[in-house]
Amino acid sequence: MSRKRLGLLGLALCIALTAALVAGLTASAGRASQETAAQKKNYKMFLIPKLIGVNVFTENGKGAKEAAKELGDTVIYNGPTEAVAAKQVPFINTASQQGADAIIISANDPNAVAPALKRAVARGAKVVSYDGDVARDARTIFVSPPSAQAIGAFQVEWVGSQIGYKGEIAILSATPTAANQNTWIKFMKAALKKPKYRNMKLVKIAYGNDNPTDSAKETQALLQGYPNLKGIISPTTVGVAAAAQVLQQEGKCKSIALTGLGLPNEMRKYIKAGCAKKVGLWNERDFGYLAAYVAHYVLDGTLTGKIGQTFKAGRLGKRTVVVSDGNRPVVVLGDPLVFTKANVDKFNF
Amino acid sequence: MKRVLLMAGRLLARWETLLVIAIIGVGIWSTTLSPFFLLRANLLDLLTPYAFIGLMAFGLAFVVIAGEIDISVASILAVSVVCFSQLYDKGLNVWLALVAGLVVATMLGCINGVLVGIFDLPSLAITLGTLAAYQGLAYVILPGEGVAAFPEGVTKFGGGYVDNELPIALLVLVAFAIALGFVLHATRFGRYLYTIGSNREAARFAGIPVARVRVTVFAISGFMAGVAGIVYLGYFGSARADAAQGSLLDVVTAVVLGGIDIFGGSGSMLGVFLALVLVAELRNGMQLANIAGDTQNIVIGVLLLTAIVVGNVTRAIQARGLPSGLRRKGVIATATVTAGLGTEPEPQELKGR
Repeated sequence: MSRKRLGLLGLALCIALTAALVAGLTASAGRASQETAAQKKNYKMFLIPKLIGVNVFTENGKGAKEAAKELGDTVIYNGPTEAVAAKQVPFINTASQQGADAIIISANDPNAVAPALKRAVARGAKVVSYDGDVARDARTIFVSPPSAQAIGAFQVEWVGSQIGYKGEIAILSATPTAANQNTWIKFMKAALKKPKYRNMKLVKIAYGNDNPTDSAKETQALLQGYPNLKGIISPTTVGVAAAAQVLQQEGKCKSIALTGLGLPNEMRKYIKAGCAKKVGLWNERDFGYLAAYVAHYVLDGTLTGKIGQTFKAGRLGKRTVVVSDGNRPVVVLGDPLVFTKANVDKFNF
Repeated sequence: MKRVLLMAGRLLARWETLLVIAIIGVGIWSTTLSPFFLLRANLLDLLTPYAFIGLMAFGLAFVVIAGEIDISVASILAVSVVCFSQLYDKGLNVWLALVAGLVVATMLGCINGVLVGIFDLPSLAITLGTLAAYQGLAYVILPGEGVAAFPEGVTKFGGGYVDNELPIALLVLVAFAIALGFVLHATRFGRYLYTIGSNREAARFAGIPVARVRVTVFAISGFMAGVAGIVYLGYFGSARADAAQGSLLDVVTAVVLGGIDIFGGSGSMLGVFLALVLVAELRNGMQLANIAGDTQNIVIGVLLLTAIVVGNVTRAIQARGLPSGLRRKGVIATATVTAGLGTEPEPQELKGR
């Protein structure tokens, strides 16, 4: 038998095998069929972060599990190791295959995960997005951090107050396609138009891809490219930590004010060293906690996404479904927290 | 009888056979991990999220068999996808836009091919450069958050289902595996590839149009990245400049695990397909068992390392106990051929030995 024919035979064999595997196992198809969600008390929820191994998302996961414990639900926290939408989709698929009652997701691309989420919904799951929203028709409710308008405006104020509201500033963002980053930047630009900030000039928006190495490189490029730079806003925890490290190494902590969204645990040493005097964020644990509460109440029918619906989110108290930043329906976490030398030791995440 | 035994032995020693055994093994393991693994819906949908990876890997296989590498495939996919979406967004007929996307992808592949094949520059360096350049180009063509609304006629290639169950992307994948497998294993062009990959100088002396073939393999790789782009677009329903970002390693994994010799000259399309099935199955099984993403990466990495070590050791043993470190391109290529790891023709007469 020639090699060619052997090859074709192999190919045929493989296809036959695949077909057999697929078709022959139909018998088991009914085994774990959809259980009806009605009247079910213990919900199975999947929290899919943008990526795992990053503190913020780990905190979200802990918060969601805390809420699940109070509600008698289970939360499974898992996701890809890179912030890539295409790698989140298999996790959505497998959550759905496992009969997920709810999928709570922070999306890397609002659209790329939408078809998979819609398939999961067709199989009986409810979808709640948080942090990184998804296409509106692919989820019931979006759980938002402090409103984007507030996050944008707060950060401009934090940097402005340190540089006397005068001079060149730059933004170190994550990826150019990250929806939340772009919205915050939009509101930063809007805030900069206010008379109070008229002497501040945004000279550059750099992208560090939420990757420490790239972020450090971009910070160095900012320092070299803009010798008159007075301040940097980095609205991403990865970016702000990398930038603080670069400022410390280059001895520029005094001449350049760094602010942004950072984790207290990661930023503590820089805050204390004066390399990032004001860094803000929201309580990441509360964020995951709230998202799980929302998912639970969506599942039991309390929340359908109608504006004005209210519910009690455990220790966070009463919350309302609102329109926020033109987006709907949204449940908002609250105002940003500011970490300074004085309070940073009170937080542990 | 002896011949039958010999043939059985040969079949067993084939890389593809080992992959099939591994696929069955992982299948059994996954079944014990999760009760959801063996569901028909799960098995049918197993490959769909990885279809675009597979299509890129099929194209890359041609390049690697010819003894080169193309690491710009994911960037070509991104450019092709954003070109399509921009043209469609500007009002061009959707099918024309689709063809334009494919043409652009093939052109970008040709640029790689000309630089490598005609100017004789190292393919790793060239495609490393175009990897960055094409990625940048994608951001220039479509900055920001991208386009998301496409007609169903186009998205069905990646995201459609027959009878709400059988993914069309799977059919596309299998169709291309068969068609490209035919080109690779049953045409003169395919034979040229193996010869060039085994010993380029000898191939030139044998009168094979080496430069033309080398340009063509990169064009094929580019074209397949374009096809992968169509499936990507359909499945994920989103065209952005960062499309397929982070997928390069998965593409290379499918090719290497598929038994394609990274030094060129051997390997089969079936192997690449089986490797894709194996990786997709392994990831699916672990995800259904909710094993953390980083642990999954370790398992896949170990699998790849094992495959390479086992593959090289088998080849070395079959080359009469020659340690793999002593393998030299061209000289031992013959041994690789006799080891029967691929379905390549036998180019011994071209070796000049």
